[in-house]
Order: sequence, then C-alpha cells, then structure tokens
Amino acid sequence: MSVARVFPVFSVAFAVLYVLSMDNNWALFTYLARAGEFHSLVYAPPTPRAGPAMYWWGWLATSAIGAAIVAGIAAALPAGWAGRRWSSLTGPTLTWPTLTWVVPLAVLLVLVFLLRGWFIRVA
Amino acid sequence: MITTLLIFHGLCAVFMLGALTHQSLSVWWPATAGGRTVFHSFRAVRGASYANTVVVLYVVTVLLGSILYPTYRIGVRSFFEDLRLSAANGVFELKEHFVSIGLGLLPAYWYFWRQPLAAETAMARKAVTALLAFIVWYAFIVGHVVSSIRGFGP
Repeated sequence: MSVARVFPVFSVAFAVLYVLSMDNNWALFTYLARAGEFHSLVYAPPTPRAGPAMYWWGWLATSAIGAAIVAGIAAALPAGWAGRRWSSLTGPTLTWPTLTWVVPLAVLLVLVFLLRGWFIRVA
Repeated sequence: MITTLLIFHGLCAVFMLGALTHQSLSVWWPATAGGRTVFHSFRAVRGASYANTVVVLYVVTVLLGSILYPTYRIGVRSFFEDLRLSAANGVFELKEHFVSIGLGLLPAYWYFWRQPLAAETAMARKAVTALLAFIVWYAFIVGHVVSSIRGFGP
C-alpha cells in the first residue's frame, strides 16, 4: 500500500498542530531577526538590540515533525482503519477525505478568532 | 536584493493564482460542450495537469516569503506599529498563518489530484482546491496591499 494514502492524515494533523503550536508558542527553534541567531526552542531576546524573536519557522517545524509522526503511525495501521473508526463514531460521512478540508477550514476560523485582537479591542 | 526577491515572490504568486483559479473553476463550474466565451475557455482546462505545478509554485513562493520574512519583521511590522496600523499587521499575521495551513494541505491536495482521479474523493478534491485558492488569493491581496502601504526602500 502506498505511503501517499496517509497524506490526508498528515494535512489534518498539521493544521491542528500548527494552531496549537502558534497559540501555545511551541516553537522548535527561535530566530532573532536582527542578530541573525538561531536558538533552540522558545528563546526570549535578552536585550532589544537583538531585535524581535521570530517563532514562525519554529511553529512550522514543530507542526511538520508532529504531523509526520502522526502520519507515520497511521501508515503503520491497516489500510482503511482510520476511515472505518471515524465512520463508526460520527456517522458515515466524516471520513479522512472530509476531515482533510473540514479541519483546516475550522482552523482558519480559529486563527481569525485568536488574532481578533489586531482588529478589535479585546477585554 | 530584497526588492528582487519580493518581485520573484510576487511573480510566483501570480502564476499560482492563475493555476489555482483555473483549476478551482474547472471542478466547481465545469465547462459544458460547445461554449465559446472566454469564461467557458477559462473553465475548460484539465485540472489534474495543474497539480504538480501548483505544489512546486506554492513551496517556492513560501520559501521566498520565508527569506523575506525577517526583513518584514524588522522593517515593516515595526513601521506599522509606530503608525498604530494594527489592522495592517493583523491581516499580515493572518496571511502568515493561512499560508502555513496551505503548506500543510499540499500533501493531501497532491494525493487527491493523483491520476486516475478517485470518484470517492471528488468532494475533498474540490474543497481542498478551493481552500488553497482562497488562501493564495488572500495572501496575494494582503501582500500586495501591505507592500504598497510600506513602499520600497529603507
């Protein structure tokens, strides 16, 4: 069976892990833009001279590695397991192909909610 | 150098925008036989033939954007903060995160567009393509507007 069958699992896991990484700042590494330095995990610059800390690449790395692990576990399971399991829990329509677009769409909405502070005053 | 990269970044986005728009319309609004209008021609494409190109363009565009990102973070974001242009920073933050979700969607997108196209994943193929098209359109418009607000140069 082709490894490609777990690509939808990777995409779903990536979307969930990305929003969790971003909201909880689970960056695998930090980049100090002005100093041009990489630091492992989350690193707060000691002085303003080092410039702002960038976590985006770190969140991507965390999400990609986590999603690859989830997809790897799914690949080790018998083909069709994931689809059957979800179907039995939630009804016949919620399968991995459906989750592949429903979950990222939901994550986009969650991201808008999490970043609402840029646009409206949040108490 | 940064300006050159920004232009390449924008050009890749334009190519991708065209490819994804053709592909999305071809699956959501398939062309019927005999049509002769420009809208008909726009939809009358073989969607599957765009998939690999879209994946490559998306990755290249994100890589170029990643190289540009520190410059934005130091020069542009702080400029907007000084001017209290919070919404401009906000829409760019959303772009960064939307593009990341799109990056994670690429493996599934490629899988759903593999030949021969599977009938049971038709809805997922259409939805994932539309989602990517939305992300690319949003990123393109926001990137263009934010670049225009800040302008070129130091």
